[in-house]
Amino acid sequence: MVTLTIDGRTVEVPEGTTVLRAAEKAGIKIPTLCDHPHLQPFGGCRVCVVEVEGLRTLQPSCTLPVSQNMVVRTNTPKVLAARKFVLTLIFSDRNHFCPYCQVSGGDCELQNTALDMGMTHWDYQPAWKPYPVDASHPNLVIDHNRCILCRRCVRACGELVGNYTLGIEERGANSMLIADTGVPFGESTCISCGTCSQVCPTGAIIDRRSAYQGLEKKTESTRTVCVQCSVGCGVEVLTRDNRMVRILGDWDATVNGGVICKLGRFDPLDDTRERVKTPMVRKDGKLQPASWDEALEVIAKTLKAHQGKGIAALVSPRLPAEAMTAFKSLFKEGLHAEMVTSMNGSGMASRLAAEAGVHENTLDVLHCADCVVTVGLDLYSDHQVLGFFIKRRLNTSTALVVMDSRENRFAEYARIALKPAAGKEAFALQALAAAIREGHNGTSGKFGELASKAGLSEAEIAKVADLIRKSGTTVFVYGEGLDENGAKALLEVVQQAGDNTKLVSAKGAANSLFAGQLGLSNSFNPKGCPTVFVALGDDEPSNALIQQLEGTEFLAVAASHVSRLTAMADVVLPVEMWAEQEGTYINLEGRVQKAHAALRPTEWVRSSTEAIMALGKLLDVPVSTDWQKAFQNHPSPVTLIGEPA
Amino acid sequence: MAKPKIASDWMAGCAGCHMSLLDIDERILQIAELVDIRATPITDLKEPDESGVDVGILEGGINNTANEEVAHKMRKRCKILVALGDCAVFGGVPAMRNFFKLDEVLKRAYIETESTDEEGKIPDDPELAKMTKVRAVHEVVPVDVFVPGCPPDPDVIFYVLSELAQGRIPELKDEKLHWH
Repeated sequence: MVTLTIDGRTVEVPEGTTVLRAAEKAGIKIPTLCDHPHLQPFGGCRVCVVEVEGLRTLQPSCTLPVSQNMVVRTNTPKVLAARKFVLTLIFSDRNHFCPYCQVSGGDCELQNTALDMGMTHWDYQPAWKPYPVDASHPNLVIDHNRCILCRRCVRACGELVGNYTLGIEERGANSMLIADTGVPFGESTCISCGTCSQVCPTGAIIDRRSAYQGLEKKTESTRTVCVQCSVGCGVEVLTRDNRMVRILGDWDATVNGGVICKLGRFDPLDDTRERVKTPMVRKDGKLQPASWDEALEVIAKTLKAHQGKGIAALVSPRLPAEAMTAFKSLFKEGLHAEMVTSMNGSGMASRLAAEAGVHENTLDVLHCADCVVTVGLDLYSDHQVLGFFIKRRLNTSTALVVMDSRENRFAEYARIALKPAAGKEAFALQALAAAIREGHNGTSGKFGELASKAGLSEAEIAKVADLIRKSGTTVFVYGEGLDENGAKALLEVVQQAGDNTKLVSAKGAANSLFAGQLGLSNSFNPKGCPTVFVALGDDEPSNALIQQLEGTEFLAVAASHVSRLTAMADVVLPVEMWAEQEGTYINLEGRVQKAHAALRPTEWVRSSTEAIMALGKLLDVPVSTDWQKAFQNHPSPVTLIGEPA
Repeated sequence: MAKPKIASDWMAGCAGCHMSLLDIDERILQIAELVDIRATPITDLKEPDESGVDVGILEGGINNTANEEVAHKMRKRCKILVALGDCAVFGGVPAMRNFFKLDEVLKRAYIETESTDEEGKIPDDPELAKMTKVRAVHEVVPVDVFVPGCPPDPDVIFYVLSELAQGRIPELKDEKLHWH
């Protein structure tokens, strides 16, 4: 530990701490613009300068490490004058028109800093040189007039997302923020995760959808869980007058540490689907508004009449664990329906874990992996945040191998990309297992044969095996693109390779792991069932599902949005969408997270859990929402983390 | 002691700062008790007394030779000059035109606007003031008190006026200080 004095206060911090962080610890606020707690210290804006006894010049506190008995002063006249001068220069560099900037009035860190410093005006006016505004991007706008070249966006794009799209060209006064080699932002390699807009201290990078919709400081913030995939990122949903304004990555969330992808940040705001506003019952061939009692009565009557003659029930794995538990308890245990499942694909991870007793790791392993092998998973478009975790390590010695029989855009980042023939991944993985075991000694071993069965060359497999053997820790990340044989082969590789090999699997939808644990993973086949109940939530029904359900004698759908499926239904129940519901989500690594309602639904809308419970009451069937008990029924590939008491 | 004399004028602005001044409502009576309000654009007398005033207040930036004259005259005739509002302090919205050449601006305003018929003509009467770049007041004459805001809050204006009326220089900070 190092002891130092800041403004007369004694502070003790670990060696290597910066003066800025030490001051924070002592409760002393040093203004800064380029520093961000989640980015590496940069020392670019010089607003955080301090006086250090014995040092000739003022020092940027954000990059200055503490030393023993250091004496720091953060608010001497000399420091304040320098700080004001730095701000004056920043304001005169570009064109900061506060009256028509969307962040002015509380959201602008530059303006706030100036106001905190008591700046009533600028000593130097701008040069009135117009800077371009790049509005070529579908989600984001860069207004270079407001850019202060702090490089937070550049650093976030590289350090956090690993995308390295943003950069700076030229030097000094000619410095400009650019995308790639200076192409329009909308034509660049940007993946629209929006992290740059979240870290921008001014209004230089704003997102189109929420710009000019009111100050952030005048919104309400709700911390909840993103339900777009099984990563389960923590998000902050900003709302105003019960309207979603903006979605931010939650910096404090253990899972994602502040980063989210386009699916989490922008897509929910672009949802233009029409809501189901009231319960609807088909009368004279037409769906007509009805009361909840009437709608539930019709469903209950039909379910009772058809009990034993074929009831099929389907649930979305995007729903909270409570809703899914209630669903299963009503239809499986209560009504003994012929078909009770979820739209979950195969639920492979849970099943295989049950069979093989293989345990998966938490996402932490990705943050220290020396080699990552993705199998049957395109992290460019799916579970993108896992992709960020991997990409941000690629400039270290971490190696990426992408194995996929399909086109895979994440392969662009890979050191080695393997494209086995479709359905032959198992051979490729068996070859890999053999190659790791045998080593490559120049003579063709058993793995050569297996490699050619997978449509790969022996050399390719040997290279990957070599990489894995030389790596300290290798993490295999697999997804739904891998078939069951492939997954079994992968488990063999992992088991054989020993302790240094870790496994993570993408589970699909937000609560897919839980759906698997409930045993709701059979493929849906309503054939012969005249009555079908679909708890769709805010999911979008697939064409395949709609086709399967065409001609169903009686179809009831609990859905938040109007779709072709609700149009086909005999009864529609209006339920909450993700931002309106409370409930439990268990992400791909087994982390138990609570979703909180950011929006209030309209009067007639109820939660999916409530809808199912009401139906149970009407049918005189006890309905349980005890998801913990349900979870324990099946061996799980992961251990539950952070289970709320 | 005689009441301090106050005069104000507006230049390249929208009159919003004077409207915000009027928004101090009945408190204007308290101000009137403390000071002698002389020339303002919204009273009969339009120019500050030749003999001088104690406080001069200018709203708006300076965008032509006429504004320059107003600013110089006010500076010459007042002891304390107040720049009121974002336009006077920074240039504000009118300063957006600084991104364009003056003849482009005139062409857009007098010839190319959608409502202008074929007769559109840039005024060229020699009596007219000559257009310049839009400048903050302190780029033309020294300013003593800066009151930013678009417009400044009536409470801030009341505070500034009452301080000046009582012979103190107002200090704008914390919740009293905001731009935009």
